[in-house]
Amino acid sequence: MASTIPRSIHAQSSEGSVDYSLLVQEGRVHGSLYTSEAVFHEEMDKIFQGGWTFVAHESEVPNPGDYVTRRVGTQSIIVLRDKDGDYLAFYNRCPHRGATICSSRSGRQARLTCPYHGWTFALDGRLIGVPYPAAYPQTFERATLGLRSVARCQSYGGFIFVSLGAEDRSLDDHLGNAKSLIDDLLALSPLGRIRLTGGWMKHRIRSNWKILFENQIDGYHVHVVHGSLLASNKTFTSGRDRTFASPTRVRDFGDGHVDIDHGSDYRAIDKPLLWMGRHSTHSYQEYVGAMTASYGESEARRRLVNGPPHSMLFPNLSLAEMNIIFIEPVGPGESIAYTTPVLLEGAEELNQRTLRRCEGALGPAGFLIADDAEIAELTQRGLNNMQPEWIELTRGIDQEEVREDGSRIAGLMDETGQRGFWRHYRNVMAAPRVARP
Amino acid sequence: MIKPVPEAPGSDSVIVAVEQFLYLEARLQDEHRYPEWEALWVTGEARYWVPMSDDGDPKTQISYINDNRERLASRIRQLSTGRRHAQTPKSRTRRLISNIEVERNGSELHVSSNFILVESRRGSTNLWGGRTLHRLIDQSSELRIREKTVLLVNNEDSIPNLAFLI
Repeated sequence: MASTIPRSIHAQSSEGSVDYSLLVQEGRVHGSLYTSEAVFHEEMDKIFQGGWTFVAHESEVPNPGDYVTRRVGTQSIIVLRDKDGDYLAFYNRCPHRGATICSSRSGRQARLTCPYHGWTFALDGRLIGVPYPAAYPQTFERATLGLRSVARCQSYGGFIFVSLGAEDRSLDDHLGNAKSLIDDLLALSPLGRIRLTGGWMKHRIRSNWKILFENQIDGYHVHVVHGSLLASNKTFTSGRDRTFASPTRVRDFGDGHVDIDHGSDYRAIDKPLLWMGRHSTHSYQEYVGAMTASYGESEARRRLVNGPPHSMLFPNLSLAEMNIIFIEPVGPGESIAYTTPVLLEGAEELNQRTLRRCEGALGPAGFLIADDAEIAELTQRGLNNMQPEWIELTRGIDQEEVREDGSRIAGLMDETGQRGFWRHYRNVMAAPRVARP
Repeated sequence: MIKPVPEAPGSDSVIVAVEQFLYLEARLQDEHRYPEWEALWVTGEARYWVPMSDDGDPKTQISYINDNRERLASRIRQLSTGRRHAQTPKSRTRRLISNIEVERNGSELHVSSNFILVESRRGSTNLWGGRTLHRLIDQSSELRIREKTVLLVNNEDSIPNLAFLI
């Protein structure tokens, strides 16, 4: 295997193409994938605009006319609930002369009106109002001038995903084995539902989106990056074993979906609610009672021991224990991380604590994530240096257990999750471009 | 260091005492004198709050910072380890405080002020600004902070790391 690759293959522009099967190898990845403009644009096209991405949660748009605007790749998308209670997603662009329809992050509207000439659209996207219509010719067809829907918009467990591409893969296929991770999160609610209504922290981080993805499922950095927190706040840290010998497993579910299964640690200790903090003085009697009433004593206990998932769903959604994070790529060296607490329906006692834990640990001032952001930025700056060309991802590569369904299991500090991400990345990026209308 | 608070409400001398207190607090923050800044706070119940919007409700919403007294102490302990990566190196900051308004409310002074803060770190410069609301108490003739709320002008937009003391 050649140890270097000519600089000429880095960041090839549209006339050439980047050979992803060369740049992504088992156990090493080429540094230019984090820094190249051309790679970034191809990722937006093939991953974020060509496949399924998380866009919003049903609880953010509970009533007809509620909407949020979100970026999907380079595209601004309006996600709204229509009169029938369905979720629809439209490109945020007036079919008349192209103005942005919704300039707010969220709101509620009976209909959508363009701020430029006042064209008005029903919640299902139909054009229903054109000021002074008499001057339009006979050929003017209202029916073709509604808001443009994205190719597909579907939800699983309350999480709304869109696909702007015409790929054949269903959301069910895309989520694959990772559906069980969403199920595990919902399983902690006595009603089987969560809501994401605690507000989104918006954290601007000068690093590539893939660095944030890889860090979310990295069990190897904690003692170094979070040493200051471990040293200064005993009550904040949960009861998990962070040593090399930890029973915690990292898992690669396939399709780029990966997790750190802290449940394997909690199950070994066999104590409920360790995920809410070992030293917590809260006993959450109401919550435990509601779980027991819903699921019976032994099943409720199983769920309360197991706790929430700590995972990344390809390409942008993190089920980060009692938080949800999604990553918005801005450019090769810039991203925004959106963070909100997971509020469990039917568990208001616990939710109050979850709000406070989320804001303490996460976001730009958080005891944990501010330090992760700093390291992500330092990694981006490091990768701008040309040598050495490759990043090393072989940790634990010989100790992976490969299951029958193709999933791989390894130790807490192994880079199995990162390798799982890159394996799927290579498959998606090496495929030919999908033609879109 | 901290001047006694004169009794007459709204008098020039009260305003001068409050101004001097805010300038002292600003300097301790800018110079990362963590224990001295913490000593400006009451020892009992307190709140250091940076919401994500000017009308954020902490009962239902998260905030960028929402420290009670215990968490504030924890924040200072973490910074004081010298190993908080997000402040290694420390941000170089200087802040200007202006538009100070003082109201006496029972035993408390309610102080609002505007600030502009320039942060320099690792080759880039960030400009921060906003309105700060202090609830101060007069404790043994010295001012102490019971509550500090910082309404960033960009609190509804995305913000970079905010690991220094705002």
